[in-house]
Amino acid sequence: MSARDLPRDPVPGETLLRVDGISLAFGGVKALTDVSFDIRKGEIRAIIGPNGAGKSSMLNCINGFYQPQQGRIAYRGVERRQMRPHDAASQGIARTFQNIALFRGMSTLDNIMTGRLLKMHVPFFWQLWRHGPAMREEVEHRRVVESIIEFLEIEHIRKVPVGRLPYGLQKRVELGRALAMEPELLLLDEPMAGMNLEEKEDMCRFILDVVKQYGTTIALIEHDMGVVMDLSDRVVVLDYGRKIADGSPAEVKSDSRVIDAYLGVGH
Amino acid sequence: MFYREAGQFKTSYQDDMAVFPIRQDRIGVAIILAAACAIPPFLDNFVVGTVLVPFLVFSLAAVGLNLLTGYTGLLSLGTGAFMGVGAYACYKLTTIFPGVNILVWILVSGFFAAAIGVVFGLPSLRIKGFYLAVATLAAQFFLEWCFVRIPWLFNYNISGAIEVPNRSLFGIPVVGPNATPLTRYYAILAIVVALTWIASNIVRGRIGRMWMAVRDMDIAAELMGIRLLRAKLLAFAVSSYFCGVAGAVMMFLWYGGGEAKDAFSINLSFTILFMVIIGGLGSLTGAFFGAALLHLVPIFLKFGLPALGFPIGGATAEHLTHIIIGALIVFFLIVEPHGLARLWATAKQKLRLWPFPY
Amino acid sequence: MLYNVFVDPFVQMADMPDLLVQVLWEGTVAGVLYALIALGFVLIFKASGVFNFAQGIMVVFAALTLVGLHEKGVPALLALAITVGVMYALAWSIERVVLRPLVNQPDIILFMATFGITYLIIGLGEFIFGGRPKAMITDQLFLPRGAIDVHMLGGRVTFQKLDIAAAVIAGLMVLLLAVFFQKTRIGRALRAVADSHKAALSVGISLNQIWVVVWFTAGLVALVTGIMWGARSDVSFGLQIIALKALPVLILGGFTSVPGAIIGGLIIGIGEKMGEFYWGPLVGGGIESWLAYLIALIFLLFRPQGLFGDKIIERI
Repeated sequence: MSARDLPRDPVPGETLLRVDGISLAFGGVKALTDVSFDIRKGEIRAIIGPNGAGKSSMLNCINGFYQPQQGRIAYRGVERRQMRPHDAASQGIARTFQNIALFRGMSTLDNIMTGRLLKMHVPFFWQLWRHGPAMREEVEHRRVVESIIEFLEIEHIRKVPVGRLPYGLQKRVELGRALAMEPELLLLDEPMAGMNLEEKEDMCRFILDVVKQYGTTIALIEHDMGVVMDLSDRVVVLDYGRKIADGSPAEVKSDSRVIDAYLGVGH
Repeated sequence: MFYREAGQFKTSYQDDMAVFPIRQDRIGVAIILAAACAIPPFLDNFVVGTVLVPFLVFSLAAVGLNLLTGYTGLLSLGTGAFMGVGAYACYKLTTIFPGVNILVWILVSGFFAAAIGVVFGLPSLRIKGFYLAVATLAAQFFLEWCFVRIPWLFNYNISGAIEVPNRSLFGIPVVGPNATPLTRYYAILAIVVALTWIASNIVRGRIGRMWMAVRDMDIAAELMGIRLLRAKLLAFAVSSYFCGVAGAVMMFLWYGGGEAKDAFSINLSFTILFMVIIGGLGSLTGAFFGAALLHLVPIFLKFGLPALGFPIGGATAEHLTHIIIGALIVFFLIVEPHGLARLWATAKQKLRLWPFPY
Repeated sequence: MLYNVFVDPFVQMADMPDLLVQVLWEGTVAGVLYALIALGFVLIFKASGVFNFAQGIMVVFAALTLVGLHEKGVPALLALAITVGVMYALAWSIERVVLRPLVNQPDIILFMATFGITYLIIGLGEFIFGGRPKAMITDQLFLPRGAIDVHMLGGRVTFQKLDIAAAVIAGLMVLLLAVFFQKTRIGRALRAVADSHKAALSVGISLNQIWVVVWFTAGLVALVTGIMWGARSDVSFGLQIIALKALPVLILGGFTSVPGAIIGGLIIGIGEKMGEFYWGPLVGGGIESWLAYLIALIFLLFRPQGLFGDKIIERI
């Protein structure tokens, strides 16, 4: 994979999101314990770790789906206590899911159009007639969505209900839906799980293009170490809900605790 | 052969987003509408009164319930009661302000149903699926009780029934004992066509996508920035509005008065729900198909079979109806869960490619 | 007004404790019958995840078959045996015709399929036995009649023998079911299926067979319910609407808990009888028709998972 060779600005920008001492438990089961890290503007930040390390729970905390019992999350420098998922969405946090969470009964086009919901404001009254402002708004957003469809090369499945699409394409549609929100921070939960090599390469290319074209910051959960090492600027490693390493891909790769976590102690 | 879209190029997104993007569909709908306007005067009053009028009323209610159950995925067993709210609201309005055109009041009475619908939709934030069905059952039985126990609603009539007064439009009696089935039919047709058009506008736009997102995966929808409670309550409101208007229409333009408690019972809720299931969840065309099928089967068994020379008792016809409806529901859920609407779409798709299989 | 709502009913209760006991007893009996219907729901829901809307009509159908057969001249006990056979045939055909083709469909589709079953059974029952209400063959089934008057608390409380029998039989049946679930091989398989369909399949349990067993068991419960209920009023299709009351019971007790169904049934039964008797007159009576749903609804808002359910953790 030669993704790294693509020209890209390495932006060591300011901090976009800071997670501070997050602990999350379900009943007696501790999913996360005292996890802290930050995500800088314009970087690709990978979150890795063995299964059940709490990676998805971490993303769920970031976009408000879970409320951590302890700790603080500051986004764009604003600290928040309680947040509902739709608040996160309106502040520019979008995400994709480990198990695809598309709207299966809707077409590709409609799915991606839902990503524009927050940006559509024409009142209900006009929606009733689908004329005037409502129609203008609809066309305007359709144009944006079509550009995303073109970007992801899924023109041919525009009107197919997503429930009928193969896995790889569904993942791509889901990325498209998140992109339609024009997010500042994009959370990708295993975007390449279950893909073959070719599909993975496509997906890597899309992710890098997203960063380049839209300037989006990305937090990425991924199991494929090759992909993680190639794509990400910095990596945070979780194991049993604790952070065990944080740094550049090269640093993390040589960290003894990371090796222990992945191969078992006493390898 | 004639159903081809070749040569029809769309030059703007607006064309592509039209209700019927294919020319032949537009022609077909125009023909149906023209027929719906032109043919009834030549039909028997009985056919207009017992076949066409109820069909339109049921269709309207089914469109309403489909917005809630088919598009937003919220199961409601309280349709009958919401329709009742519309009927009683209309009755009160036209009693208090007899001078205002009755059609205006029919359309306004939907708003009362919408308000009640929102109240009983409130629990939908915390509960889903079967649980919500119980909440709507509460609405059904509570409202039914109100219809009987609050005499103010039926103007303290001793019979406890709604008595539909005579109301005219441009000098022609539209409502009441003097109105002919034909005028009533045209009044309903106008309402149903207008409201269906509005429904189709809603579901194809921002609101419709929001509802379907909630239906397909509410958690993901919330993460897309949709406020679930708002989306669900809006669905309850709009759906109940349609049902309320359907109820007012049913009482004033079809029944012409009567014991509303029996008319708006839980059985009506079930009938409408079955129409939506058999027609196709999440399809407005399906609502019409479902209404047609479920309304025509009993009529056919009751009047059609004897006419064809198969004598069949009224009671037996009713029993057979139950069996057939039950079998149809099971059949459609197994063979084509998307109902008649999907069968129709598949047929059209085949026709588009005919004579080639792909 | 406030006095009438919050004080007066309790004053009445204290003034006439015998009346209170009577109302409580009536509520208990109604509750037992609700619980029996709810039990049928729980059995099927546990084993197949199907919310069986048709349980109410199965009650009617079972009772109707029994009475109908007896009307045609079949001796009562033989009719009872044949009815058991009919319930088995019903369970078998439902599994074969409806459940098997709908495996892996969303719950809501299966739920709606049971609407279809409901209508099919209504039609069939009417077609075969006619639509008129019938009297239950109480004497022929050796059910007791008459009442026992007990003098207590300065008054007289009447217990119908039939109601006592209903409570006892219901109790026995719950006990039997509990033993069946805990001790027998099929019972263990059932609990396995309830936990996970896939896991149960992988250890060689036949899902189809289990479903037939469960629906048959639910059919038997329906038969007992039908006899008891039919003996108190009569056997008619109107019972089906009353059976909807099992829904609030399930919400209180949780969809998978047998003790929950019983306790939920008692709460609903007693709650609605007390409500009707002491508070109903304030608003003109007849609140029994919706009070149960209202109780369930209010309860849902505070505890969506039911009395005995675990807290739901949503995952994505």
